[in-house]
Amino acid sequence: MIIDINFIGLIIASIMASAVPLILASCGELITERSGVLNLGVEGMMIIGAISGFALMTVTGSLIIAVFGAMLAGVLISSIFAFLTQTLITNHVATGLALTIFGIGISAMIGKNFVGIPGKEFPVLFEGLKDTIPLLGPILFGHSIVFYFAFALPFITSYFLKKTKIGLIVRAVGDSPESASNQGINVKLVRYACILYGGAMSGLAGAYLSMIYTPQWIENMTGGRGWIALALVVFSTWNPIKILIGAMIFGGLTIIQFHMQAIGVRIPVQFLTALPYIVTIIVLVVISRDSRKIRLSTPSSLGKSFHKDN
Amino acid sequence: MNTNLKISNVTKIYPGCVANDNVSLEFNSGKIYALLGENGAGKSTLVKILSGVIIPDEGEIYLNKNNLKLNSPLDAKKNDIGMVFQHFNLFETLSVFENLIIDSDEQRESLREKIDTIMKKYNFSIDLDIPVLNLSAGQKQKVEIIRCLIRSPKVLIMDEPTSVLTEQETSELFLSLKKFSEEGILIIYITHKLKEVMQLCDEVAVMRRGKLVSVSEIKNENIESLANKMVGQNLKTIKKKKAKTSSDQLIKITNLNFTSEDPFETNLMDINFSVNRGECLGIAGISGNGQSELFQVLSGEIISEKNSIEFNNNYIGDLSPQERREFLMAFSPEDRLEQAAIPQMKIFENVALNNFKSSNFFNNGLINENKIKEHSKKIISDFNVNTNNIELKSQFLSGGNLQKLIIGRELITSPDLLICFNPTWGLDVGAINYIHETLIKINEQNKSIILISTDTDELLKLSDKISVIHKGKLSKIMNAEEVTSEKLGILMGGAN
Repeated sequence: MIIDINFIGLIIASIMASAVPLILASCGELITERSGVLNLGVEGMMIIGAISGFALMTVTGSLIIAVFGAMLAGVLISSIFAFLTQTLITNHVATGLALTIFGIGISAMIGKNFVGIPGKEFPVLFEGLKDTIPLLGPILFGHSIVFYFAFALPFITSYFLKKTKIGLIVRAVGDSPESASNQGINVKLVRYACILYGGAMSGLAGAYLSMIYTPQWIENMTGGRGWIALALVVFSTWNPIKILIGAMIFGGLTIIQFHMQAIGVRIPVQFLTALPYIVTIIVLVVISRDSRKIRLSTPSSLGKSFHKDN
Repeated sequence: MNTNLKISNVTKIYPGCVANDNVSLEFNSGKIYALLGENGAGKSTLVKILSGVIIPDEGEIYLNKNNLKLNSPLDAKKNDIGMVFQHFNLFETLSVFENLIIDSDEQRESLREKIDTIMKKYNFSIDLDIPVLNLSAGQKQKVEIIRCLIRSPKVLIMDEPTSVLTEQETSELFLSLKKFSEEGILIIYITHKLKEVMQLCDEVAVMRRGKLVSVSEIKNENIESLANKMVGQNLKTIKKKKAKTSSDQLIKITNLNFTSEDPFETNLMDINFSVNRGECLGIAGISGNGQSELFQVLSGEIISEKNSIEFNNNYIGDLSPQERREFLMAFSPEDRLEQAAIPQMKIFENVALNNFKSSNFFNNGLINENKIKEHSKKIISDFNVNTNNIELKSQFLSGGNLQKLIIGRELITSPDLLICFNPTWGLDVGAINYIHETLIKINEQNKSIILISTDTDELLKLSDKISVIHKGKLSKIMNAEEVTSEKLGILMGGAN
């Protein structure tokens, strides 16, 4: 049997495409968590982004408005979380769970009128170069701008945290909000900003799903990707590059198990469906075993409310 | 240039407590000032006002005749007031350099040069690129000091800086502070340790219950006069009566060894000693020489060979702390809030933790609250714990009161042997006196004590016999009257 080399390229490209929403949402949540805030509302923010993007695209017809509108919707819904946890000092876990439930509910309500409407085609870049290089061509070219952004994001995030002053301040706030406050850093402002940024990235991840990956609106279409994104952040030990690896493994296994089911491999379907979850976690745990590094990259104040006394 | 800092009529009132009552003070550069007072005297509040952390209800602060409005720590920094807090304000997971650059406006390279110059000048050596959590307490403090020095401060305030330092680190700190003072930085040194005031400072201001009691020059004071001002009454000088030499052996340690897997712990090598009834054995040493491991081996937190510890003619080396308690041993660990008590639990719940079979605190697995509360009230009144609320969470007790509670909890069952580790660490004079009196009383009742302490004065005052621990090895056991603090110092340094 001759396997077309470009076919392998296409499979790899489809794996990468399925990793995009995970990378976007994880990298956003990573910044939020690095500032010490645990936002379990990723799934909710993602689905809000998905319906907002799709609805705006249908109503306005503009893809640009739709993409930025979805990010704005993520910002708005995360601002509820920010207000509750930072200003009213509510519990991060409970508030985040509520946000997810809220997001799923409200997206289903708005989405009722958009079920069954076909999406629009999203423009891709470098389409013409696809056939110029075997194997690499389909991997590198012919994707949407969001796709390229997602694969640059882990490196940008890593650079931001390690090399920039603001990144340092984010890490400092996550390490010890008390010390940061005593150094004159406005802890709440930093945390607000990080929460809203996480919201924007989750919104973008949702928009990618409903506008690019499967251009249509289906109720509950995020299908737990928000939770996977959250798990990736933790199991990657807050390392953006490991998020990229984890997202690729997860996306890859999801695609491959589809193909395995299709060719009729005699393994129970339930096991195949569970495979990506299990393997991703095992791999991330194995590559993140250095306890010293875990201690250094774990935000010490994660999930703890901070309020300034006196 | 001369720096003049003036505090004028500062008052800060908290509900139920006047932390600073109309305090006025004046400082001039070139001198080192001590601000002395017991825990809760209001000295920390005063320095927090100077560093912008707390805003006073009334009063003004002037630096070189300029009225300062300090509404945040940032304001203090901008006005060249540097402060090193008792609890470090460092980011443990960030590198030393990241900790220093975070509040600096300078470029990386120029800041690095500046830090290098400072470190060279004051003989500090710290690797700038390792995370702060890998540093010792003394090094962390140096990072805090460097952080202040980067801004070339006019005023440097040190809040109880030696409470986490070893003796070696303390003398290094004093050298640096003297150097800073010579260079014209005004230094305010907050402490309750009288010896340090006498060693380091030029002038001393004493505070008591929120009020300024006296301002005087050190040369006109001595330790007793300062102690009396601080406590507000004449302190009894405690003197131990010579114990009648008993030959009735209570505990005997034979060939005890402990090898740790943790590279940061000290291995114990061939420990041998015995304690007779009514005796106090003091174990001196610079902290980190195996004291904490020795305490854990003796208390049963670390299990050793059965035959290595003989107590009251029983071999107990392999028993747990709970089982050892049943043989009438009692323990007072070093860290009051981490090891001895649970901070978030109420006083009476902490008392119940010391659960003897004979105490009847629990009936068929149910808590007998009345019994425990009754018992707790007895401890509070017998041991002078300054609260009448046994429902109070123990984290809200001052160090002295908590230590009294812990010692009380241990002693109320009248054990034959009390093992304590730095029992007066971080306490004020009044509490220290009380603890010392209690320990002497125990010996008078023909009970024994093993006192592991880094405070040589305390050891010389209380012990009948003294040994020194160095790198996990005990020196030979000496009679206390043959020992001087100089001799101890030499042994603690590792000489024979």
